[in-house]
Amino acid sequence: MTSSKLLWRLLPTLPAATILLAWYLWFVIAPPPPSVMPTIGAVPETLFNLAIDGRLPADIAASMARLLGGVALGVSTGIAAGFLAGLCRPIAAFFNPLIVFFNAISGIVWLPLVIGWFGVGSPLALFLIWNTVFFIVFQNTVLGVQLVPEVLEQSVRTLGGGRWETIRSVILPGALPYILSGIRSGLGFGWRALIAAELVGATTGLGQLIFSGAEYHRADVIIGGCLLIGAIAMAMDRWLLAPIERRTVVRWGLVARSSGGHNR
Amino acid sequence: MTSAIAAVRSALPFAALIGVWWGIKDVTGVPDTMLAAPPAVWNAFVVLLTHGILAEYAAASLRMIGLSALISFLIGVPLGFAVGTNRYAARALEGTLRFVQGISGIAWLPLAILWFGFTGATTLTIVIYTLIVPIIFNTMTGVRAIPENYTLALRSLGAGRLRIMWDVYLPGALPSIVVGMRLGMGYGWRALIASEMLVRQGGLGDLIFGARTFGQIDRIMVGMIVIGTLYIVVDRLLVAPIEALTLQRWGVLRR
Repeated sequence: MTSSKLLWRLLPTLPAATILLAWYLWFVIAPPPPSVMPTIGAVPETLFNLAIDGRLPADIAASMARLLGGVALGVSTGIAAGFLAGLCRPIAAFFNPLIVFFNAISGIVWLPLVIGWFGVGSPLALFLIWNTVFFIVFQNTVLGVQLVPEVLEQSVRTLGGGRWETIRSVILPGALPYILSGIRSGLGFGWRALIAAELVGATTGLGQLIFSGAEYHRADVIIGGCLLIGAIAMAMDRWLLAPIERRTVVRWGLVARSSGGHNR
Repeated sequence: MTSAIAAVRSALPFAALIGVWWGIKDVTGVPDTMLAAPPAVWNAFVVLLTHGILAEYAAASLRMIGLSALISFLIGVPLGFAVGTNRYAARALEGTLRFVQGISGIAWLPLAILWFGFTGATTLTIVIYTLIVPIIFNTMTGVRAIPENYTLALRSLGAGRLRIMWDVYLPGALPSIVVGMRLGMGYGWRALIASEMLVRQGGLGDLIFGARTFGQIDRIMVGMIVIGTLYIVVDRLLVAPIEALTLQRWGVLRR
């Protein structure tokens, strides 16, 4: 009983343990050159060295600043445009083909063109993140706004509420859960776009760190950097976005659900 | 008749866009090294098309995404079944899969380049890595949504594991698997373009990034338009109909 419980506890560590074991055995059987694969110990050591010589904190700070700036731009423009399109259907219908097309080329596809506009550096990364986040937040906002039951809007109007009152007290809270889930996935894709942008379009940042690892044949830098990229993405999602989303769903998600029940 | 109206309706915003684009180019007089005028882009398109360059690069990209989708399907669906039906497999793999999902395929590109060099194998690895995760997750969700009664019914009739997989899990999860394929193709297409830009061994990403080194903005813009159009064509004319078909044929099972 206790042993099976222990097994259950340890099960999530199995893939990592398998990888570490294979990694270790690789070095025991046929040690690869350090440019192909570092020893297991070299990865934390390299990260530690990069951290104390200040390169790693600087790269993380540069990436986070770009991410925050780009996501803030994408979220604000995405929500504004989403409300406009959600509330005014003719506008949405007219622009829809353009949205479909630009969504298909959003993000990294722009890199060769806009590198000539902004040069290498933060503005380029900001543009690519904005371009990625905008469409996700936009589409979620439109969906959220359009899914608010009309009965709720009408009831506010019957009680004498104006257009602005309806938007503020019905549509905004009703659409908020969708908007937030848009922001959540927007941040995830923005992070990916940032790393891709930094590979060639920046001189600092985590993407540049791992790309320079390829240039100098430093597999330890690349693997350490990738693990860090994953850890930061996971931490942001778990400790920042998931709680916010949960809270709004608890606070406002009920509005849509109970009224949906009354409608049918 | 209505389809003609729909065609005009979807062409109108593009006509407006081209008008605005041309206007900006004319009024501000931005140099050709930053923005090409619509006629220049059209000429570049004709040149690339008639010389067969466009077809060659586009075919390379399409071959790569097709091959990646096939391999990801063959590996991802069985893995999704395992995670969806076996609680031990789910417990073991779910956390790792979520962590791995946070590291985009492109982030592994430097390591893949060290391992495989600037070759198609590098791009293939990156695209499969990107494509396979949504397939695994959606297969898992699809399998979990199948009412247990179907499995129990078949089992009490004496069906084995393989039979249950073929007659219950596969048709039951198929709509969800197709959704996963569609998502994965979307993410994979972007990863493919990004990887081609850095690997530079053919493909549309190579076309637009290579044009950049010669300052051929008109070629870059042709490439971007082709990338967007191909994605929409593959998604709308190939993947979406398959999705609709499976939902029609098997979607009922989920109720």
